[in-house]
Amino acid sequence: MKDSLYLAWRYLRHHEVKTLLLVLSLTVFLALPLVMRSMSRAMQQSFLARAEGTPLLLGQKGSSLDLVIEALYFQRKDVEPVKKADVDAIQSTGLGMAIPLRTGLRTQGFPLVGTSLAYFDLRKLRIEKGRGLALIGECILGSEVAEVLELGPGDALLTSPSTLFDLAGVYPLKLDVVGVLEPTQGPDDAAVFVDLKTAWVAEGLGHGHEDLARADADLVLRRQGDTVTANAKLVQYNEITESNRESFHFHGDAASYPVSAVIVVPHDEKSATLLRGRFVDAPTLQIVRPAQVVDSLNAQIFRFERVLQIVVWTVGLATAVMFVLVMALSWKLRAEELRTMTRLGSSRWKALQIMTSEVALMVGASALLAGLVGVLMARYGEPWVQTLILRSS
Amino acid sequence: MKGRPNLLSSGRVLLSLTALAIVACARKAPPDVERGADREEPFTVYTVSYPLSYFAERVAPGGVQVVFPVPEGIDPAFWMPSADAIQQFQAADLILLNGAGYARWTGYATLPEERVVVTADGCRESFLRSEDDVRHQHGPEGTHAHSGRAFTTWLDFRLAVCQASRIRDAFVQQMPDRKQSISERFEALERDLLDLDGRLCEVSKAAAGQRLLASHPVYQYLADAYGLSIESLHLEPEQELSQDDVRTLDALLEQHPAKWMLWEGAPLPSTQSALAARGVNVIVFSPAGQKPAEGDFLRVMRENVRGLECATRLTKCP
Repeated sequence: MKDSLYLAWRYLRHHEVKTLLLVLSLTVFLALPLVMRSMSRAMQQSFLARAEGTPLLLGQKGSSLDLVIEALYFQRKDVEPVKKADVDAIQSTGLGMAIPLRTGLRTQGFPLVGTSLAYFDLRKLRIEKGRGLALIGECILGSEVAEVLELGPGDALLTSPSTLFDLAGVYPLKLDVVGVLEPTQGPDDAAVFVDLKTAWVAEGLGHGHEDLARADADLVLRRQGDTVTANAKLVQYNEITESNRESFHFHGDAASYPVSAVIVVPHDEKSATLLRGRFVDAPTLQIVRPAQVVDSLNAQIFRFERVLQIVVWTVGLATAVMFVLVMALSWKLRAEELRTMTRLGSSRWKALQIMTSEVALMVGASALLAGLVGVLMARYGEPWVQTLILRSS
Repeated sequence: MKGRPNLLSSGRVLLSLTALAIVACARKAPPDVERGADREEPFTVYTVSYPLSYFAERVAPGGVQVVFPVPEGIDPAFWMPSADAIQQFQAADLILLNGAGYARWTGYATLPEERVVVTADGCRESFLRSEDDVRHQHGPEGTHAHSGRAFTTWLDFRLAVCQASRIRDAFVQQMPDRKQSISERFEALERDLLDLDGRLCEVSKAAAGQRLLASHPVYQYLADAYGLSIESLHLEPEQELSQDDVRTLDALLEQHPAKWMLWEGAPLPSTQSALAARGVNVIVFSPAGQKPAEGDFLRVMRENVRGLECATRLTKCP
């Protein structure tokens, strides 16, 4: 048997390209179901872990999946915003903590997220470099943003203009980077975080400009009593600095300002039930359990996985047929070689042993490689899928 | 075949891949350290003004640390804290703000809203407007003003009681098992504040028809609550009166003849002489936004009220 294995090994080494191609084909055939299953599981776990870390989510009535995707993954789904007053209303119930999220804006290709300090505690986000948010106009970067843009504390970045061809629209706001977060292998790595007020300034709800009480006459259109009307020459600041910070202000009632979604962290299960009960018949608002929404999404993924399995087994069958064909043709081509072996005194049984050993070696190598891929997927599938999701967003 | 790459000396390749997998699997998972672990530190309260700090100290049960971080000599209403100072606020268990636009920095700082109590919110239907408020307009959004509201709310002692009650409620919410002690302490403070309120109501009756001047526009709530007719200038006690100041004072005295002028601190002797020459006497009525050099909030306020009682001849002047 040992000599058969040796001869098979020498043969495979001699025809290394053919052998390599066959081993790779078999590896793909064996690994594909494992990779697919791991990816599916990783995706489900990844979705579920983040959803379970978000007890309740308040948003405007509409697609609960869009609400969850926008609030958990910062992917723009154009969900209708709720009002800041809704955040305050949740907070004032005393049943839980309300964490506002303002999404939809971008900065240099990454989502800009306006939120409160409690978000960082909820997601266990730690500062790796620099410090946390303290003043409006400051931002902290997810680890991937810092790496891709090569930015750190002391640098600055501009928000992306939301109205590129609208000259009267909101101009980019320069944000001071004050900190970088530790990597989390989650969507927070690819986001830029600011205070909710900074997000509102970035979208044009707040602004800063020269004090009109002391402004030059050429900036003033009209003075009437204690009201000063400025003309178009009045320039609004596009950067919040120490010297102009006090001039930033908001118009209108802050309670009506938009918030994309509100993460609600109830004090206990009873509070969660009470909170959900309050929104059962709410005409414009909905409160959802992200874990439930993701569960139903996972059920869809599972159904899709079953369809994929059929595809995979079909591809596998084709690979197996191809392998058999290649081996059959190979043996046919080697008919002369086998006759030579017989003339040299080898039995037909021995020749069969050698050929079986060749197949066994190739299948064994493929199985080993497929197993290795399976182990790597089990270990790194989740972060890899996260990265895939993040990069494709 | 010699010289071609020996792709299937793959025993070694497979070994390397296996080793890589083992090393990779052995890599340490990212740390998942819990935030806010159990701590032994005292319950910490940060405040933006000295009156709130005083109220909190009076109402708080034992073991509560009240911090008023504004450095001496700086008016807390206009303090510009550093990022480090703001982070100290962020770390507090409870943050007491005055509201009514007091301490403008709180409007552009990132504070943990769930731990912030705006003590004056809901204590009045609307806050008084500052006299030096300039409204402006740019674009179609209508007019607005930046500074807007008058903020020395605690000079209306009923409003001060309301603010203190907000502090009581916040403490009770955080420490429900100490509700009785907190309530008793609040009631003692309430008695002190209502005593001042009662005395000022008497002053109000005695001062009917009398006009007062003020060195600074900080007495809006005092005037509103106790029916005092007060017109304000913009004078600093430690600064000499300029020619412009004297002209403004004379013009104001013509429109608003007054025999008494409220000052946040004792003015310079030269200022006192200039005022005396115009028949105007000085009453020091400190808003006590900053911690006094001696005594405490209650003592300062009692002295303030005594000054007004003296002016209205309710008590003998010292």
